[in-house]
Formats: sequence, C-alpha cells, structure tokens
Amino acid sequence: MKRTGVIWSWFWMILGILYFFLPLVATFIFSLKAKLGVLSFLAYQQLFNDADFIKGFSYSVLWGVLTIIVGILIFFPTAYWVRIRLPQVRTAVEFVTLLPFVVPAIVFVFGLVRTFSHPPFLIVDSPALLVLAYTVLIMPYMYRSIDTGLRSIDVRTLTEAAQSLGAGWGTILFRVILPNIRVSIISGGFLGFAIVMGEYILAQYLAKPAFAPFLAYLIQQKAYEPAAATIVSIALTWACMGIIQLVGRGGTQPQIAGGH
Amino acid sequence: MTASNVVKRDAPSARPAPYRFSWAWLGVMPFFLFAFMFLIYPSSTIALGSFQDTNTHAFTLQNFVHLLQNPNLIGAYWISIKISLITSLGGGIFGFVLAYAAIRGGLPPFMRSSLMTFCGVASNFAGVPLAFAFIALLSPSGVLTGWLMAMGYNPYFHGFQLYTFWGLSIVYMYFQFPLMVLVIAPAIDGLRREWLEAAENLGASSFQYWRYVAFPILLPSILGTMILLFGNSFGAFATAQALTGGQINLVTIMVGAQLRGDVLGDAGLGYALALGMVVVMAIAITGYTVLQRQSERWLR
Amino acid sequence: MTHLELTNISKQFGQTTVVQDFNLDVKTGEFVSFLGPSGCGKTTTLRMIAGFEVPTTGKVPLGDADITDKAPNQRNVGMVFQAYALFPNMTVAQNIGFGMRIHKEPESAIKERVTEMLALIHLEQKGNSYPAQLSGGQQQRVALARALANRPKVLLLDEPLSALDAKIRVSLRAEIRAIQRKLGITAIYVTHDQEEALSISDRIVVMFDGRIEQVGTPFEIYNFPQTAFVASFVGTLNTADAEVVDPAKKLIKIDGVSLATAEDLKGRKKGDKIKIAIRPERLNFVSVEKKANVLDCIVENITFLGSVVRIQVKIGSNRFNMDTFNNPFLELPKIGAREQVSCSHEAVIILNS
Repeated sequence: MKRTGVIWSWFWMILGILYFFLPLVATFIFSLKAKLGVLSFLAYQQLFNDADFIKGFSYSVLWGVLTIIVGILIFFPTAYWVRIRLPQVRTAVEFVTLLPFVVPAIVFVFGLVRTFSHPPFLIVDSPALLVLAYTVLIMPYMYRSIDTGLRSIDVRTLTEAAQSLGAGWGTILFRVILPNIRVSIISGGFLGFAIVMGEYILAQYLAKPAFAPFLAYLIQQKAYEPAAATIVSIALTWACMGIIQLVGRGGTQPQIAGGH
Repeated sequence: MTASNVVKRDAPSARPAPYRFSWAWLGVMPFFLFAFMFLIYPSSTIALGSFQDTNTHAFTLQNFVHLLQNPNLIGAYWISIKISLITSLGGGIFGFVLAYAAIRGGLPPFMRSSLMTFCGVASNFAGVPLAFAFIALLSPSGVLTGWLMAMGYNPYFHGFQLYTFWGLSIVYMYFQFPLMVLVIAPAIDGLRREWLEAAENLGASSFQYWRYVAFPILLPSILGTMILLFGNSFGAFATAQALTGGQINLVTIMVGAQLRGDVLGDAGLGYALALGMVVVMAIAITGYTVLQRQSERWLR
Repeated sequence: MTHLELTNISKQFGQTTVVQDFNLDVKTGEFVSFLGPSGCGKTTTLRMIAGFEVPTTGKVPLGDADITDKAPNQRNVGMVFQAYALFPNMTVAQNIGFGMRIHKEPESAIKERVTEMLALIHLEQKGNSYPAQLSGGQQQRVALARALANRPKVLLLDEPLSALDAKIRVSLRAEIRAIQRKLGITAIYVTHDQEEALSISDRIVVMFDGRIEQVGTPFEIYNFPQTAFVASFVGTLNTADAEVVDPAKKLIKIDGVSLATAEDLKGRKKGDKIKIAIRPERLNFVSVEKKANVLDCIVENITFLGSVVRIQVKIGSNRFNMDTFNNPFLELPKIGAREQVSCSHEAVIILNS
C-alpha cells in the first residue's frame, strides 16, 4: 500500500471519527452541566429519579423483548419451513419481508390507526398492536438474519437425522435447529431490540408511553435531562451492537436490507 | 440458489405441483396471515382511501389531481427529494471513501471492525436522540458553538442555522453515511486483490486501475446503495420532527400532521399524499434491488 | 546467455524466513518450473520477480536492467494468476487489449494484436464474450493471452492450472508449452504438481522450506535426485535405511541383505548408516540385466492401476512397491508367494540427506 494512499486513508478515517464522535461528546458534556458552574451527574440523578423515565424505559424494554419473542416465533419456523419444504414460496416471502421498507413508518402508522380504530378490530389502544407493529418493523432485519443463519447450516441433514431418531417438529425446531443458529438469532434479536428501543413514530402515534416519545417530551420540558437520557439511549444501542459483534465474532454483515 | 436446485434434493412430499394442495402450505400460513393483517391490509387501506372521494367514497382520481395542484404539497415533495438527493450523494460518497479506507486503505485491521460497530450504532441512532445530540452540539447554546465562539468564530453570525434545511441535512448525514459503509463493505470485500495485481502487472497506475477496473465494477453497488440511502432519507420522520418541531416542509412531516388532525381538511388528499410516498419508496427499493443483483454478478 | 538472474534472494515476513539463498540463472526462451509443496516459497519467489513482494535481500536483474526496485506496473513481466483474475466488467477482447490501452497504443495496433492473440489461444469467436460466459479453461487461456499481448520480457505463471479439471489441465499445459515455444519467451512456472513440471519444463527448481533443493532437467531430477526430499517428492519411490559394507566394492546391506550399487561410496566407511532409494519401475521379477541385485521377497499385495500394475513386496523388513506395465497375458504371482526380485546396480540411489 503506497504511502500517500495510507495518509489519505487516515485523513478520511479521522474525519469520520470526528463527525461521529463530536455530537456524542457534546451530548455527554451537555449532560454534565446540570449543576451551574461545575460538571456533575446531577442530570443523571434527576433522570433516574424521574418516574416517567422509569415508566417509558421499562415499557420499551418490556415490549421490545416481547417483540423479539413474537418475531422469533413467527419468522423462525417460517424461514425453516420455506427452506425445507416450500422453496417455491421463497420469492414471495422475501418480497413480503422487503415491504416494510416500502411503507415508511409514518404511513404505516397512518394505516394502522385507520384500520384498527374501528370495530371489529378495535385494538388500537392495546399494547398488543404495538408489539405486532414493531414485529412488522423489524421483520426485514430479523427474517434476513435468521435466513442467513439457516443458510449456513445444513438444515436438511439435521432435520433428517433428528427425524430418524424419532423427534417431532417441536423438538426439531427448538432443540435441534434453533441452538445451531444461536448467533443469527442473537444478532437479529439485538438489532431488533435496538430498533424498538429507539422507535418514535409508532409509539407516538399509537399513543403509547414508550421511551422515545418520552424523550421528545423531555426535550420540550427540561434542559439537561434530555442529554442524560440521550446518553443512556446511545449506551444501550452501543451495548446491543457490541453484543452482536461479540457473538458474531467479527462477521461484519450489514443487518440492512439486501436485494439478495 | 434456485428453487429447482433445492427441490432436486427434496425427497418426500413437496414435489411442487402448484395445483395440488399440500398440507405443507399450512406451515407458512401464520407468516402470511400476520403480514396480511398487520402490514398489507393496513397499508392498502391508505391506498384505497386515496382513490376514494372523501365524502361519497366513490372511486375517483381527484385526490391525485388535487395533490398535483397543491403548491404546498408539491413543495413538500420537492424539499424531501432535495434533502434525500443531497444526503444520499454526500453520505454515499463519504461513506464509500470511509469504507474503502478502512477495508483496503492500508489501515490496521482493528479499524475495520471498529468502524463497523460505530456504523451499526450510528445508523440506528436516528430519530429523537440524534436530533437532540445535534442540538447539544450546534444549537446557539451548543457545545461546539461554544468552543468556536471561544476561538473567536461565531457560526451564527455567518448565517448558520441548525433548524433549517441545511442543518437538517447535516444531521441526516449522521445516519446516511454509516448505512453506506455497512452496505458497501461486502462489495469492497468482493473487489479481488488479483484484479489490482493483474492491472498493475499490465502497467496500470493506481488511477488507471480505479478508472478502468475498480470503479466500473463497484458502480452498480454504489449507485444501488445511494438509491437505498435516498429512500432512507425520504421516509425519515422522527429526526426532522424532533429537530425542527415540524416546521420544515417535508412530506413525512405533512403526513404526520395530517394523521394527528386532518390539517388538509380532506382525508382523501391525505391518503394520496401518503400513497405518493409509498410509490417513491417502491421505486427506490426496486432500483436498489436491481442494481444489487447486477453487482453480485461481478463481485461473487 | 542469461536473461534473468536471481542473485541471493531471500524474503522474511517478520520473524519468519520464507525464502532464502535463492540463486538462479535463467536463459532466454527457457521454461523453468518452481516445484514444491505448499509453503515452500515458490509463489513468494515468483511474486518477487513480478514486484508484488519486495525481496529482503538480493537482486533481480532482467536482461540488462535491474528491476529489483521497480514498481510492479513498470516491470513489463506478464503474470498469469491461479484465479485467472480477468476483469469481469470487460469483454475478452477488452481484457486482452488492456495492457496496450494503458500504454496508449493506437486502436488499430490493439485490434490487430487482440485478433492475433485470440487466434493463438484458439478462441477467435469469443472476443465479445464476458469472462463469466467462459469455462475455467477458456478463462485461463484468455488470461494467458492478456499477459502475452503486452509483449512482456518474461512470462510468470502462478499455478495456473490448479483450479481446473484434470483433463483440461493436461491439454492446457501442453498448449501453454506450445505457445511459449512458438513465441520463444522466457517462462517461469510455479506448480506443486510434479507430473506437470516434469512434462513441460526445460529445467525444474525443486524447493522445500524456502530453499532450493535441486535444479536440473526433468530427466536429471527424476533419475538422479540429490536429496531425500527431491527423491520422494518427484515420482514414487521406495526408500530404506542401509548400512555400508564395503565402500571400495560399493556394497551395502539392507536388513542383512546384500546389495551392490553403482554409485560412488567415496568418503564413507564400513558401518555408516545411509538412506537408499529405488524407483518402483526399476524392480523386476526376471533378471535381464547383468550386474543385477537379486533379492528374496514375499508378495504382499497386487493393485491394478490401469496401464501399470503395482506389486507390493516385502524384502526383509522393508516394503517395496514394484511397478510393471500391464500385460494381460503375463501371469502375475500369487499373494503370499515367495519370489525373487532384481534391480540393476544403477537403480540403487544413495540419498544425501
């Protein structure tokens, strides 16, 4: 690698790092300024004592985890079935998993409100709708992740071996196949979780007390607490990404839609 | 990976005769049911509503006519398109340069994995927290503004405004370029080292290698990903809302306002507005998919 | 007349020495193979000639120019890669003409040369095809044409046939040799396949663990290996431990069985432990040569390999393979039978290490 080339690489890298870190640093510094004239963690104290924060954060965590579980329950057997038994629906399924990208969240929630505000589907107020909507939102990422995982193991042979030993479908799915694609499930799961934690539009317009709407409200009301909350949000996302990297052991697959 | 490829190895029941009913189809029913109930059906009500007259519910194309005649709405589309073009080009170029630097630029290997982690975090960071982070950075009482003023330079005296189109563009870049990095990384990986060596061996300089070999091969990927970035920006809502409080005239903001309280006074028009968005996104995703397929032919 | 002179080449990666003490004079128009197992340094040495690796020590004079310090795009050596490395976004014709286009030669000259090259590799109809539309063998021929179109001084080939089917390998290597002869270009060919090296080279450089083991013609390498490694790597070989009985009479013994060799045992004394080797095809059941060694053996196994029949015999405590040509009318011995094998004195090779 020629000298000048490497210098340019470092130049762009440093520029990127600066652009990436400056807002984070600024937010962090901002969050330390609650007490006049001195840097302190006062904002964090106030935040963690704020009942609304606890409520919003735990609400998002709870429904986030539920979303992941629902996602696994729907997408994993489907991906497995498509691979093993119905390869001909593969294109249709992949098309469907791309649809959430075609319908932006704001339009999606528009449709959801319209559909589920009237009987017989009057569930617009129930958190179940939020969970199901979130499941749709993370579908591209989760399904793709699971599918990639299934692709990397010999699903057919594992299934046949388990069947020859007398296993039923439940056992095969959850005690044979699932443990072998642990990495993909975890990657997809944490990515989905990070998305749900930061999601604003669906939560706001379905009037749910989730974390992101709380943060938006906080920005209007307080000066320094939002900074602390933002840092918490970033730290959480970072932890999720870190876990994904750790589990994936360096696999830098972009968990973003691919026209595969 | 073609369907016929897999079917050949499939012994028992799934001989794919499309007419014959097989119990196997039951296996994918939950998925399709779920997708239909909670994605396709709700979205189609929007589409349906856009073709219906608000009062009589009769089929009509009037909503689209009104849409095209409304300067406010056309202006919103134009602004959305503008910001999407700018951030997809800017984010795309910067993201590509960054990805290439980390992967093939002669940097230590840990830079690559660090960059991928950062980009994973940053591309997910969009929305309310991102808006606030930039407020903390560049608002009149922001940290960076403070540092610059301490050095004697006040950006606001020079016409900088955060809560404007350009301010928003800068914020959008924050999740655009990481997305570019993440998606283009496999393509850069696919750029085989032998191509560079073969080109050098035949006498090509670095520039000639780029111009005749590397860039043409990467072009479908780069273009495709930029289109993806375009769609990403076009559909973004939370960031703009949190940063500008709905003051910037983007299509997503308008749809949000309409959802909250029929600001247009015409439900059908609102649906047409939303459907217009879906059409733009569909074109973007299709463009991306097509170009991605093309690039995979060369980079596998 | 020496064309390429590699002097004292060595290469270190950090603490590991990958190539050392590499000296070689290559004549113009010669076809030299670097032969050895994976990791022996042959590809690294080739890449040093091409300029993709910089030698830690040593010089690479080519013709009357010293190219040691030149960048790879200024050396005018043509390289054919194992993975073809054809540019997927260009047609066959564009690939072949790439080098000339870089050197800004006129379009007419490029067109002419491309046509010439396509004829040389017998792919006249494929000029407008893309690499993805060609088979592996065809792609490699295009890669060859691309390297040659640029009129390089030396042609370097890095295991070009490893990725191809066995049958194609055989036909393509003959084609490569024919083209090289026709053009009279100096060629260096890296391979781990000894049959390949033996069949097409003027000279072979056998390498092991970063060092040159032996340099010689295929005939020399096969029949007169100088080290145990060369003997065992090239062709099949029977080896055995032996002890010197009488250096003057050139007598040695294996497991108490006496053997006469035609090789010089100068410098050795009675009781010295040495290693000997005998090629399977030099053992016979019937003694036809004078000065033959006759040994008692037991037939252990008979394997039919097509044109060759391989008979495994036990002489003392050593197992030897005997190769005879297939003859449907010749009666083969039974397994377990006691027979006598013979080999000439010249067939007993003393290994140096």
